[in-house]
Amino acid sequence: MSVVSLHDLRKTFTLKRKAPGLRGSLRALVRPHYQTVEAVKGISLELDEGELLAFIGPNGAGKSTTIKMLTGILFPTQGQAQVLGYVPWKQRRVLSYHIGSVFGQKPQLWYHLPPIDTFELFAHIYELDQAAFRRRQAFLVEALGIADFLQTPVRKLSLGQRMRCEIAASMLHGPRILFLDEPTIGLDVVAKQQLREAIKTLHDEEQLTIFLTSHDVGDVESLCKRVVVINHGQVIFDDRTSALKRRFLHRKIIGVRFGQPITDDFDLPHATLLKRGQWGAKIELDTTVRPVDNLIAALMAYAPVVDLTVEDPPMEEIIREIYKADETVTLRADGQANDAPAATPDQAREQA
Amino acid sequence: MTRINRLRTEAAFILHLIRLNLASNMEYRASFLSQAIGMFINNGIYFVFWLLFFDRFEEIRGYQIQQIFLLFAIVALGWGLAFVFAGNASRLAAMIAEGRLDYYLTLPRPVLPHLIFSRMDPFTLGDLSFGVIAYLFTGRFDPLSIGLFLACSALAAVIFASFYATSGCLSFFIGNATQWSFHIANSLVTFSLYPFGLFQGAIRLFLYTLVPAAFVGAVPVEIVETRSLALLGGLAGAALISVIVLALVFQLGLRRYESGSALNVNI
Repeated sequence: MSVVSLHDLRKTFTLKRKAPGLRGSLRALVRPHYQTVEAVKGISLELDEGELLAFIGPNGAGKSTTIKMLTGILFPTQGQAQVLGYVPWKQRRVLSYHIGSVFGQKPQLWYHLPPIDTFELFAHIYELDQAAFRRRQAFLVEALGIADFLQTPVRKLSLGQRMRCEIAASMLHGPRILFLDEPTIGLDVVAKQQLREAIKTLHDEEQLTIFLTSHDVGDVESLCKRVVVINHGQVIFDDRTSALKRRFLHRKIIGVRFGQPITDDFDLPHATLLKRGQWGAKIELDTTVRPVDNLIAALMAYAPVVDLTVEDPPMEEIIREIYKADETVTLRADGQANDAPAATPDQAREQA
Repeated sequence: MTRINRLRTEAAFILHLIRLNLASNMEYRASFLSQAIGMFINNGIYFVFWLLFFDRFEEIRGYQIQQIFLLFAIVALGWGLAFVFAGNASRLAAMIAEGRLDYYLTLPRPVLPHLIFSRMDPFTLGDLSFGVIAYLFTGRFDPLSIGLFLACSALAAVIFASFYATSGCLSFFIGNATQWSFHIANSLVTFSLYPFGLFQGAIRLFLYTLVPAAFVGAVPVEIVETRSLALLGGLAGAALISVIVLALVFQLGLRRYESGSALNVNI
């Protein structure tokens, strides 16, 4: 059953533009120049109950604007959307009892107080029965592993700890859908992994529907079965994560540092040497040609490895690949998508 | 849920917010106390000007030193009460311009009260205590006078908070109205601290309507002096109108809200 439904959703902002410097400011004061920017250009998609959807794209793609319309923060310029049968911008208050939201850059925890004080406040906000609230809080503290710092002022928590507490706060009232906007932004590798595990636990235990925006493809790979990629406000890919992986995430960038200098005979078949230093190298690998573990084994056999990183290509590169593969979308000379409609979800599935 | 129960729930929620604000401010005791004491001294210095003035002149347009004590007591207590509890009322313009309402919009509480009661300005405790001490100098210690003084100060607080927040709503309509809002709102407190006899004609009308300084200064002084319950009813009506105007302007403006990417911190 569909719990989130968007049809031709659009959002336009009017921005004031000015030339740089004082002269530009003076000119803008006398004759202001406004530009209309289409942040979201007709997004249509459906999300089923219990689904964990990754809604990804580079910075400025329209992810946050979309999530803000779905949570009732912003009014759309055009189009329709329903979340659990409610129109978010018209029935914001009643909807907010059934959804939770976490904005990576907009903390809801009170900065100078411990998380437990914000939890108490949220119990008041959602009018929770005290006994039910205590039970729910105990479950979330356990599931998210936050017992050790529940009484530490938020300002003293690490970003990863804070983010897990943010998720706990937004789950106290037992929402049916959780909107996560860039929850892993700014986190280190370990904190990211802990957060992803926590999200997965909540999703599995509560059959929670999760709408996750991110510009980190790692979030998608480890969490989501379905992925929607947007760029310049349009959906350019909507399919299973396995399809995205197969088609666009088969390249890995591997960085290695050895415990001894590299010799002239350093050669890696079926991999491209991007950069080579005296002690280390950066290698590009196509995993459909040679698996990652096979290459790592070869590196370890070559010399003692001191440090090793495996990275995904940046989001911008994946988007370029999607555009290249999708003949329905052409690129203008400046690299932006033209105004041709993006592939619908069904078309994208067929193409995949 | 009945309307009475709904109101009770909202009041309990706002009380909880105020308790949380106090707890948050107590995290920094020294800063909390020094800010309050600093504002008390600041008010005292301003007050000394009037003491020197009345040392040379007996009255100014019908106001003697006793009325000035009362005027300062009501304005300071009203101001203090407004921003001890509704600290975000004076920050609304910046919060709207920087797109910092998202947090309040995602939660199931009425946005406006949740927003303005979510912050406490500790330095306004200095105004609050200054108001109480200034009242002691008026020498009016009978229960009716004290009751009227407290009621007038509370209604002045409502008008202060509503007017500041309404001027902050300008940001919905003209973009960043932080400075505009600051100056408009400050004109309210500036005009309220002068004897009302100084103002005549159109300015008087202005001070009863667009910048309702009369309702936070002169009218409350007259209520305590004349013990007029009818006038108190009129003041309550003015306070109610200020709240209704704020609610309407905020509702109208919210449709134009554009969010933003600024970092948001609840303190």
